[in-house]
Amino acid sequence: MIKFENVSKQFPLGNKALDSVSFTVNKGEFIYLVGPSGAGKTTIIKIILKQTVPSSGEVSIGDIRLDWKDKSQTENMRRNIGVVFQDFKILHDKNIFENVALGLNILGENKKNIITEVNQALKLVGILEKKEMFPTQLSAGELQRAAIARAVVGNRDIILADEPTGNLDPTTSWEIMKIFKKLEKVKTIIFATHNTDIVNSYRKRVLTLKDGKIIKDEKKGGYDL
Amino acid sequence: MNLKNLITSIKRTPYQSLTSFLILFFTLFLSLFFFNMTSFFNGILSYVETRPQVTVYFQDTVEEGDIFSLRDELSASGKTMSIEYVSKEDALEIYKDLNKNNPLLLEMVTAEILPASLEVYASQPEYLSEIAEFLKKQPGIDEVVFQQNIVERLVGLTTLLRRSSVVILFFLLIISVIVLMTTTAFKIALKKDEIELMTLLGASKSYVRRPFLMEGMFFGIVSGTAAFAIFYLIFLYANTFLKSYLAGIPNLPFYNLGNLNIIVWPPSIYFILLSYIAIILFGAGIGFVGNYFSTSKYIK
Repeated sequence: MIKFENVSKQFPLGNKALDSVSFTVNKGEFIYLVGPSGAGKTTIIKIILKQTVPSSGEVSIGDIRLDWKDKSQTENMRRNIGVVFQDFKILHDKNIFENVALGLNILGENKKNIITEVNQALKLVGILEKKEMFPTQLSAGELQRAAIARAVVGNRDIILADEPTGNLDPTTSWEIMKIFKKLEKVKTIIFATHNTDIVNSYRKRVLTLKDGKIIKDEKKGGYDL
Repeated sequence: MNLKNLITSIKRTPYQSLTSFLILFFTLFLSLFFFNMTSFFNGILSYVETRPQVTVYFQDTVEEGDIFSLRDELSASGKTMSIEYVSKEDALEIYKDLNKNNPLLLEMVTAEILPASLEVYASQPEYLSEIAEFLKKQPGIDEVVFQQNIVERLVGLTTLLRRSSVVILFFLLIISVIVLMTTTAFKIALKKDEIELMTLLGASKSYVRRPFLMEGMFFGIVSGTAAFAIFYLIFLYANTFLKSYLAGIPNLPFYNLGNLNIIVWPPSIYFILLSYIAIILFGAGIGFVGNYFSTSKYIK
């Protein structure tokens, strides 16, 4: 469970990214974060990842209240979260297998487990046959699949997806959504997006943000620009 | 970090890696040179110290009892390591031994014409002149002979060598660490995305910095090995000349560890091995420290 209680984030120049935001995401829930650019979607993801410190309010993940000064808590917590970025963040000097294995190496998994888990994850996202290839040899959609595989390995319970279809064409975006559909049964997923088609076609809980505030929280919501 | 990743990292930044290697090589080569030189001069000094440093010859009128009194007085000063009494009879035996191939010289000499003497070994070379001056003032002294010049020169040279090597190595150490910090900072900048991604996936700071520390130590070991190989190749080349130039100098133990067979001159295999271990440990240490500072500063 992820819980935000009156969380605000104000930048030094005074602009507010979040204004007293409260919501709860239950374990195994799929939730869309929608809203225009600057609404606060990425700030919420960054706060969950402890990349950004909120100006006020409290955030809990499971039973743990986030302590912004506790570095070991940050490391342990991040080991339970997989992240998918709009720009993929795939390392170009490593092949696809090595990219996906990165998180497992950090977790200290043994070589045998790494091979098994990475192969399973690559099979799940449909690019197992491309595991020896380097990022320059893959399309954008394939790179995003690799990024999703990297996010799911290592028994990570939570997946944060920050506009994962933002750089993809509509067809590829739908293929990526199919992978998230498979994952929603076993992971808690927070999916930040602009894509109205995806939100309106694949109906799930929607948190709509505007100017740092939650203006709508609908169980099977939609998204109108 | 396995060797493959390490080689890849070096290949990705060839000029920075070459800079790190060269500065470490230069520092370690000079360190090895100074280590060998100070060990050698220390050995020479130890050898000279084993020779009778002050020999005092007595006039025939001096009684044996007076000589023993003087010996006891010197011993009580705490400035001597040992004092050996050489009687007229002992002197004759020594004379006979030295001239055993020349019977003519032996026929004319008796114990009566040879002087009794004391051979004094100082506990510190610095006490030599003080002991000599003290003996000169005693009654019944025929002559005082001591190796003041050679010992003082050796002490001076060894001290100068030690001090200058400390100063030079200190500056080289600082330069090496700064160069390593700079080249590693560049490598960290190149790996910025990877480091950011690793921290987002839950990597600890020690996990992120580990490859850089390993790389620093790797450079230290490789540079140390290269410095060692070049140094001993030069040594082998100059060996014939050195052996003839230093002929007569016996085995010189390394800081009085001769019983471990660590001989500085001619260098024993144990001394060469010790040099290698010392230089690669020193190199790995510099590499580790340089990259530790760099990663502490640039990896947040």
